[in-house]
Amino acid sequence: MTERLGLLVLGLGNVLCGDDGLGAAAVHLLQQAYRVPEGVLVIDGGTLGLALLPMLQDAEQVLMVDAVRAPGAEPGTAVRLAGMDVPPAVRERLSPHQIGVADLLDAAQLMGCGPGNMLLVGLVPHDLGLRVGLSPAVERAMPALVETIVAEARALGFEFVPRPHDEQARRLDGADGVVSLLGLRRPGR
Amino acid sequence: MAHVVVDPITRIEGHLRIETEVEGGTVRDAWSSSTMFRGVEIILKGRDPRDAWVFTQRICGVCTTVHAITSIRAVEHAIGANPPPNARLLRNLIIGAQCVQDHVIHFYHLHALDWVDIVSALSADPAKTASLAQSISDWPISGRAYFTDVRARLKDFVAGGRLGPFANAYWGHPAYKLPPEANLMAVGHYLQALDFQRQFIRMHAILGGKNPHLQSFLVGGMATPVDADSQNALNMGTIAELSKLVASARDFVTRVYMPDVLAIAAFYKDWAGIGAGVGNYLSYGEYPEDDNPNPNMYLPGGTILNRDLGKVAPVEPDKISEYVKHSWYDYKGGDDKPLPPFKGETSPNYTGPKPPYERLHLDRKYSWVKSPRYEDHPMEVGPLARMLVAYAYGRPSRVKELVDNTLKALGVGPQALFSTLGRTAARAIESQVIAEKMQDWVAALAESMARRDYRICDNSKFDPSTWPEECWGSGFHEAPRGSLGHWVHIRNGEIVNYQCVVPTTWNAGPRDAHGKRGPYEEALVGTPIAKPDQPLEILRTVHSFDPCLACAVHVLDTERREIVKVSVV
Repeated sequence: MTERLGLLVLGLGNVLCGDDGLGAAAVHLLQQAYRVPEGVLVIDGGTLGLALLPMLQDAEQVLMVDAVRAPGAEPGTAVRLAGMDVPPAVRERLSPHQIGVADLLDAAQLMGCGPGNMLLVGLVPHDLGLRVGLSPAVERAMPALVETIVAEARALGFEFVPRPHDEQARRLDGADGVVSLLGLRRPGR
Repeated sequence: MAHVVVDPITRIEGHLRIETEVEGGTVRDAWSSSTMFRGVEIILKGRDPRDAWVFTQRICGVCTTVHAITSIRAVEHAIGANPPPNARLLRNLIIGAQCVQDHVIHFYHLHALDWVDIVSALSADPAKTASLAQSISDWPISGRAYFTDVRARLKDFVAGGRLGPFANAYWGHPAYKLPPEANLMAVGHYLQALDFQRQFIRMHAILGGKNPHLQSFLVGGMATPVDADSQNALNMGTIAELSKLVASARDFVTRVYMPDVLAIAAFYKDWAGIGAGVGNYLSYGEYPEDDNPNPNMYLPGGTILNRDLGKVAPVEPDKISEYVKHSWYDYKGGDDKPLPPFKGETSPNYTGPKPPYERLHLDRKYSWVKSPRYEDHPMEVGPLARMLVAYAYGRPSRVKELVDNTLKALGVGPQALFSTLGRTAARAIESQVIAEKMQDWVAALAESMARRDYRICDNSKFDPSTWPEECWGSGFHEAPRGSLGHWVHIRNGEIVNYQCVVPTTWNAGPRDAHGKRGPYEEALVGTPIAKPDQPLEILRTVHSFDPCLACAVHVLDTERREIVKVSVV
């Protein structure tokens, strides 16, 4: 077994389905604005399933970022779930052969090495239709979501350090495909 | 007559719905429907063709690499880019790794649960399980202590009430035939398959970067630098690592997967006579062995009609067209005539019942999947089609050897291949053939390095000013679950039209304008059903095709999506 990872920040969702991809988009924005500290892995998990198992198994703690449907709540509303409230929220994340992220957590447990601490932060989506890009309400809430990830990581003992402005600009021009393709703006700080 | 509906078919990406008429314990008729809309084509209009793969790889979490490869092939075909040999080798390795990995996942994590009763495993004797495992293979992780531990872990897990991946199944169903020890062995191998997958996935990191979505594709070749002496490139060290991973895949497939399939199949030989389906097979061919415009393929392309292995013909893509007579789309020229993919239209028009509903309008339109046909024939695609085409051509000889060995081990003739069991066996055979072949591609890559041939991409056509004002391209690929084609029409550097005909569209499509059933529908007719309220047998046959509806159709149907109750902060 390789050395365990301190914290896995896992963005989830389909970037072709509007706000469904907000979790995946958020981790790209995070990586643009911040240097990832030692002991942390930031991954755009998209709608992948078993491919994520090695990372989930290796991680002591997992912070998932996802769109969360909450009846009655305004689009863009922040949501936070912890511990055993997390699996039901990601149960709808079906992936290889309907092995969803919740099933992966179970499989990791069956193998005796699931993450000890689970958190989920996210936003209430507005539009999950076939579309690339976020709805205005969700896009407005994205910078705050990125800051929430940073704050949650800090509470767990991991400090994301802001990139200098020229470095952020370079990354925007670089190969970080998803963000530029999706036409997302970097979070203002 | 009972009307049995399975919706959604469990453990499948996307929403697949099967309706059947059951009479006298047998399926008399069947309808296959997808209740999700398809339409990635719409998203791609107006975009840069060089970026299309980034979008198509996000269609589905199971099929990321396959849509990327096919998109790149289609665009390269349109603009006339010629990837160099190293790019071909790297792509073959990526395709091969995806194939082996996907087949192992399909068998252990989807399909085995249709044959293996997890709950029965709890009553198995670990010592007898060890003897069984050791009698079918020399795989070392097979001792009594190991199976005692597996049983204890399973017991804890079930006692915790979190069945997780084992939920929603028909445990204790009379159609399960394995003794408890075989069931426990399978549970052990389910866990080992997870372990294997965890190791083997490092292939992706080496070939495609740290992100689980591969980042190394490029129209014209690959973005992975190759340099024997560089730390930041594929070098002699990574070649050694690739070689080790490929050897471990061959080991797992040969000593665990294949023996398990044979051992389980021996208890279910009646399924060699069930689930044949349309009897027409299509494979585009895969794993190019040279860099010509029409390369020789390690697994040859071809078509077989009416189960006639004596007549295999080359594929002519112009013979492919799609009907929407029973699909929720409109064609401008009317729904009775099919359209070829280059002229394909994606105009959704839902005319089905308003959810929630009991039954679809089976005599009218009933699916979001179109009905592809080859010269008006419904065709089955997938590992069975590929193995049959290779078997019929007699090349590669390894396919013929392994198919004949499998038939001999089970004491059945070639007709047994046309069945649910045939599909499952073909997937294991293909895994072994490809796991063995991958070592040749690693060796060829090492030879390139030794020659200091580091070419990885044809950049001559990357600039859109080098393209014709208007061009068309088609890309073909044999994905793990079958034949995948992308068709692209480019004008002034932008995508005008994009059409995907995906494996699950071929297999899961509804009837055509002539009323001919699609492959799932035909395969289900005649299936025995022991308990209509627990149609395990329907799942066996549908799962044997390895369905993936997320590709065949696309958007999540929010109306039907489970709403999660959460507290808002």
